[in-house]
Amino acid sequence: MIETMFGSLYAMLMSPHMMGLMLLAVAIGLVVGVTPGIGGRLSIALAIPFVFGMEMIPGAVFLLTMHAVNGTSGQISSIMFGVPGDGDDAATTIDGYPMAKKGEAGRALGASVTASGIGGIVGAVVFAIMIPVLEPVVMAFSPAEFFLLALLGITFIAFLAGREQIFKGLIVGLFGMMLATVGTDPNTGTPRFAGDFLFLWDGVSLITAVLALFAIPEMIALAVKGGSISSVSRETASYSYRQLFEGVMEVPRHWWLALRTSVIGAVVGMIPGLGSSAAAWFCYGHAVQTSKTPERFGKGAVEGVIAPETGSNAREGGALLPTLFFGIPASSGMAVLMGAFLILGIQPGPTMITERLDLVWTLIWALVVGNLIAVTFLLFIMRWVALLTFVNGAMLVPFIVVMAVTGSYVSEGQWQNLVVLVVLSVVGYGLLRFNWPRAPFVIGIVLGKIAEESLHKALELWGLSFFTRPLSLVLIGLIVATIGYAVYRNIKPRTAGAQRAVTP
Amino acid sequence: MTRTATCMSLAGGLAATAIAMPALAQNGADYFKGKTVTYIVATSAGGGYDLYGRLVAEYMQRYLPGSTFVVRNLPGARHLVGANTIFASRADGLTIGTFNTGLIYNQLVGLPGIKFDLAKMSWIGKATTEPRAIVMAQQSPIKTFADLQATKQPVNFATSGIGSANYVETTMLTSALKLPAKVLTGYNGNTDQLAMRRGEVGGTIGSRSSFEQFVQNGYGRFIAQIGGKDPNVPQLRDLVKDPAALSLIALVQSQGDIARLTAGPPGIPPAVLDALREAYRNALDDKELQEKAAKLERPVEPGYGDEVLKAVITALNQPPETIALLTQALKKK
Repeated sequence: MIETMFGSLYAMLMSPHMMGLMLLAVAIGLVVGVTPGIGGRLSIALAIPFVFGMEMIPGAVFLLTMHAVNGTSGQISSIMFGVPGDGDDAATTIDGYPMAKKGEAGRALGASVTASGIGGIVGAVVFAIMIPVLEPVVMAFSPAEFFLLALLGITFIAFLAGREQIFKGLIVGLFGMMLATVGTDPNTGTPRFAGDFLFLWDGVSLITAVLALFAIPEMIALAVKGGSISSVSRETASYSYRQLFEGVMEVPRHWWLALRTSVIGAVVGMIPGLGSSAAAWFCYGHAVQTSKTPERFGKGAVEGVIAPETGSNAREGGALLPTLFFGIPASSGMAVLMGAFLILGIQPGPTMITERLDLVWTLIWALVVGNLIAVTFLLFIMRWVALLTFVNGAMLVPFIVVMAVTGSYVSEGQWQNLVVLVVLSVVGYGLLRFNWPRAPFVIGIVLGKIAEESLHKALELWGLSFFTRPLSLVLIGLIVATIGYAVYRNIKPRTAGAQRAVTP
Repeated sequence: MTRTATCMSLAGGLAATAIAMPALAQNGADYFKGKTVTYIVATSAGGGYDLYGRLVAEYMQRYLPGSTFVVRNLPGARHLVGANTIFASRADGLTIGTFNTGLIYNQLVGLPGIKFDLAKMSWIGKATTEPRAIVMAQQSPIKTFADLQATKQPVNFATSGIGSANYVETTMLTSALKLPAKVLTGYNGNTDQLAMRRGEVGGTIGSRSSFEQFVQNGYGRFIAQIGGKDPNVPQLRDLVKDPAALSLIALVQSQGDIARLTAGPPGIPPAVLDALREAYRNALDDKELQEKAAKLERPVEPGYGDEVLKAVITALNQPPETIALLTQALKKK
């Protein structure tokens, strides 16, 4: 076991061919990740013609690395310009972009890149540890648990919105859930709030909604305000490698949080059916909920950058588990990866662990090494990238709006999404202008759909008795505790404030 | 002198005809020189349709010298967006594509969102056959089709969204065969396999190829198949006697026979369509394409042009009883 474990690492590091392929894969993965609207799935689908001539292990390492580092570069535009490339990057935007506005883009980037790397590596470790218990863990989660998990995620809204804004947060969250009902009714199969518009039958495009709520409003605000994204001038921000390094050091400073969110991300990734954006949001919600000073979130708290980034990269390690050992891919990206593995002659299934342990370890190491290469490379170039936040808005805004519009179109290739983009941008700018929280919206739209579909399935399977499944009871306990805690925290300062109002 | 001249002119004429003949035949292929053909795939990148689409496009380009094939993914509304777009595109042979054969059901029942008539499309070919199978979870007590018929407790059957071909076939077959099934929806992608492993559903009816690995891994078993050549699994048509059920099974089988199709909008000029069909035939006969498909565990059993058109028209000509059954299956709930 140990011999195979380190033997495969040694073989990988010592082969110039493998390392060259990994460098190439990291470069491609990072470029795809930084472009909004196209995901890792597309990059693998396009790489398939090139895989035919490849050997099994180098080919698998190439594809997995390319897929795994995708999320590492995705957050760059979220932090720099408030333009999330995807639903999970949107979680990073909430605190990353305010940091950039404060002139701390370097710190935010340093923290997020390091967090991604750590998340990816912890994900690989979780992968290795979980192999023996994969079966019971994956089997424990059925639609009943999906519903309760989604519900738990939705209750995080109470924390995200902050103390004074809890009602505003709920309204925005419900608006998101309302938009999640647009599409095809899972119960009857008929179009719901979609009419004859075929592009709405699959629901409102998540990427479009996220771009409209975050990117466009921020750009309008920047254009109105004038100046650059960073409100602090370049000189006072003392922008240098030092700031970047400070960001890197934030991750070990918050190591306990980073570890927890990595594990959450990996476990969510392991369970097929929860959707890829859920991991980052669970982790973000967890960070806010467990923070002693939740009011800092949304205004540039570095934990708000670390949590979703660790989560979304750790997810890849988790998602690889059922893909390799059950032959059941945990996400659409993994489904394409599995198809490509078949070309290479890899037969995913339970025999992998007994017959192809060397390959399994090589893949685990590929996740680790690939993430390390990506982090080193990004940290090296970040210094220059972060300078863009000091560029005058008049020069920056047009580029970014074009980027957002392209992202919205490319993701599904339908022009009608541009209309949705404009309409929701108005809503988004309104929320920004009047200082309403926007994060609950994305939680609503991401988790609302999962909640509805899984509730429906659970009711059909078990009727109302699904609440009494053992794991369901645990989750219900968590939900009740979360709500109770939110209520308690909301009441406490208010009574203190009221007393103060009476006493003077 | 005159004779020689006549002879020469005759020979020249013959030669000219000899040259002109292949030129005429090549006319269609020449048309594609320097042109770009858009191949629409009605799903997002990755997955079976995309895979077959990209293979077909790559090799058709090879057999239409000077042409460039571009694959465009147009997902949405369960292949309707892609199929509608192909149907509405200009009939110049420069837009073709692939979508789910199951749209035949949509057209038969007249479901909303259809802006095409499959009988009028320019059919180019189909890449394979997708036999259907009834799969039961390993831990299920049901080991044979007779067990399934005899069981008293309703068995949960997983399907993807309502209105999908998978759902239509499952509801239709289970009700026509009077199987004690409860059809559950919303199991998209491979989540049905996981649900069978968890034991929350007993089985499903789907494309056999999607479950080949699942069964090989020992997680389930095939108890009957519709089409397909596996001698160890009984054919569903041999297990039932009811004529209405048999006609439904035939309909499902005809769907399976024209899987992974390629078609263009109605009215492509005959010469151009012939060139496309010829290129399609050459592409699917290409050893390299077949090897690649084999590596991907994707079977190739091609069918061409009019033969596919005929199959589509046959499938669209269903007796009123079958349509009634279909409508009932779709309206149920």
